[in-house]
Amino acid sequence: MRIRRAIVLGAAMVIVVAACGGNGSGDTTTTGGDGAPQTTTGDDGGTQSVSGDLSIVHTWTGSEQEAFEAVLAGFEEANAEVNLSRVEIPFGELNAQLTQQFAAGSAPDVTVALPGLIRLFAAQGFLMPLDGLWDGWMADGSYTEPLREIASADGTPYGVWFKGNVNGLIWYSPDRMDDLGIEPPATWEEFIAALDAVEAEGGEPFAVGGADLWPLTQWWDPILARVAGADVFNGLVDGSVSWDDPAVVESFEVFGDFIANYFPADALDRGFVEATCARVDGAAEFQNQGAFVNLVARGECDDSLVPGEDFTFFLMPKFDEAAAEVQFVSGDLFAVNADTANPDAALALVEYLGSAEAQTIWAERGGFVAPNSQVSTDVYPDVNDQRAAELWPADPSVAAVYDLDDFIGGEIQTVLREALQQFVRDQDVDAIVQSMVEVDERVRG
Amino acid sequence: MERRDRAHVLSGRALERPDRESRLAYAFVFPLLLAFVFFYLWPAFNTLAGSLFRWGLLNPWSIAQPADWDFVGLQNYVDTLTSARFWNAAINTGIWLVIFPILVTVVSLVLSIRIWQTPRAGATFRTVFILPMTISLAAAGVIWTFMYDPDFGVLTRFVEWAGIDFAIDWGPIRFQTSQWLSDPGIIDLGFSQIRLVNLSLIVAGFWAFTGFGVITYTAGLTAVSSELVEAAQVDGATTRQVIRNVLIPQLKGPMTVVATISVIFALRTFDVVWVITQGGPAQDSEVLAVLLWKQAFVFLDSPQAGLATAVAIIMSAVLIVGAWPYLRGLTREKT
Repeated sequence: MRIRRAIVLGAAMVIVVAACGGNGSGDTTTTGGDGAPQTTTGDDGGTQSVSGDLSIVHTWTGSEQEAFEAVLAGFEEANAEVNLSRVEIPFGELNAQLTQQFAAGSAPDVTVALPGLIRLFAAQGFLMPLDGLWDGWMADGSYTEPLREIASADGTPYGVWFKGNVNGLIWYSPDRMDDLGIEPPATWEEFIAALDAVEAEGGEPFAVGGADLWPLTQWWDPILARVAGADVFNGLVDGSVSWDDPAVVESFEVFGDFIANYFPADALDRGFVEATCARVDGAAEFQNQGAFVNLVARGECDDSLVPGEDFTFFLMPKFDEAAAEVQFVSGDLFAVNADTANPDAALALVEYLGSAEAQTIWAERGGFVAPNSQVSTDVYPDVNDQRAAELWPADPSVAAVYDLDDFIGGEIQTVLREALQQFVRDQDVDAIVQSMVEVDERVRG
Repeated sequence: MERRDRAHVLSGRALERPDRESRLAYAFVFPLLLAFVFFYLWPAFNTLAGSLFRWGLLNPWSIAQPADWDFVGLQNYVDTLTSARFWNAAINTGIWLVIFPILVTVVSLVLSIRIWQTPRAGATFRTVFILPMTISLAAAGVIWTFMYDPDFGVLTRFVEWAGIDFAIDWGPIRFQTSQWLSDPGIIDLGFSQIRLVNLSLIVAGFWAFTGFGVITYTAGLTAVSSELVEAAQVDGATTRQVIRNVLIPQLKGPMTVVATISVIFALRTFDVVWVITQGGPAQDSEVLAVLLWKQAFVFLDSPQAGLATAVAIIMSAVLIVGAWPYLRGLTREKT
């Protein structure tokens, strides 16, 4: 009698749990007939109401964190029933912490991630496919096919673009350039001549920020793209081109000469923010960085700076004028945990983050390039952001290369960053090529 | 012969002990034994076993899932011991192992004796030196990152103020009083290079750890008989003679403790290095614990957790060998 009662009670509990649990994997009730997750957009075009607890991981601090909070506030305002908790993880710790959390089954519902990590996690089945969202965005022209590919693993999109960056921008102060009699260079020769002119006046050409590791890849990537071209660049990304390819070696040689002639002696002493402020303070004339400097320079260094007047940028010129146009971009994407307990809210959040509505909030604050092409360039608060946004490869015919080490990730990324620090010290092309060939062969075979 | 007889007698007594008493003793020990097995023995065994397989954080090795095992035998140890990166980390750890214990053992001894000699201000000084120990090592790392900052760091400013901003280049030795965390200098041994950035990190670790030495020596000094010191002074011993012939011999025990714990700290140091340089620039300050961490948690695309566990086992072996005299001494004291 007691056993029978226990069986009945157990069966009842299973039914109740099944009814309440719904879709732990996120691919039952949230998956449409075509196998793609449904979006949460209602018939009237508005967002359906979602509720419950939701967690999101991001990496922004300081002024960027404030801007992101403003974006999230927009979601919370529209979805008052969602209890959204956010966790900030230092950028350098993101991959390790997320890996531990996913492997342990305690991952956040939604997380920021770079393409390399997205591919790695997608291969493990940790992420929810986002075909449904992307189909809508591709249909209305919000994103291009190259951007969809960057967010995909084996052809399936698992990431949502949120924050774009245009890199290879050489930041400077117009007044100081006027004093030195230097015009923004349009060719590589003019670029070198401008740097020589700075040195001739006893100035320091560049602030670098190499202590943070990643700023050195902001140097290597645009030089590689300009010297070797987009095909070789993307070949390194997918492993079809070796690190001892002549075009890659030539890129290292060009970069080595550049370091020897124009890098400061303390290139490895300062991090990104210190380098940005050093240039703002006049310790150096130029800084090669992404569009986000427009926000960081004012937020971390001097809030009285007027974009366009006190500081602006020119695009790092082509190394070879006859070469095809190639734009070096990077950016932050968001992905959804496949095992999220709240798939509807998670999908609603990433749909929001990929939307023009959300990206406009940060774009209006500055230091941001909206990857969604529906965001008007008019919303940007100043000329620096407008010009950076215009450089975003919204036209699929323009070759775009994504930040190489972020795209590859893992051991190759770490070794490349460390090798670039060593390269800054010794400019030993053979050594850096050899170390990269070794690690690439070991990791990718 | 006599010892064997005594053992005979003891075992005889144990045999005579009533079963109930014996079971009670085991019952009292059992919870502790259980905790020891689960929290010490099991992880140690798991690590040792894990070092014989290829696995990563994304596809963790589990003893319960033999179908997923990728057994590689001792290959992880072979790969580790033939890896240039491992030996670079081993040399950096070696620098820590040599310099850090000497610094802690000697400097905290000197500080403790000075504090002992000034009883009025002793409490204040003790607090000053012990305070850094109460701060987490990660926080200490942040503090020293600011200290070494090339723009506003205290050390940089002090060097400028004192006019000791210089650089020397004596053949294989190069040193400068700047760029503390990127390139303070190098000692070229021919077969290998010692990067002096490790010294910058050791100083930070020493600052955070020296309180332990001060506490331990102070405890030892309180046990020194004042009659003994006074007798030496009455006999005309100078302060230096009192220290050398009376105090230091009395502090041999604490000195062993401080030296051994410092060696253990140096071998497994991670926090300070990770917070300040993350093992850089390049791999200049990468110690074994940092290498292990990167292999396990950063090199995700090339599962190297097996290699990381092999490094952990090698480190543990070195640690056990290094601390063996101390551990043996402890065991002898107990018996």
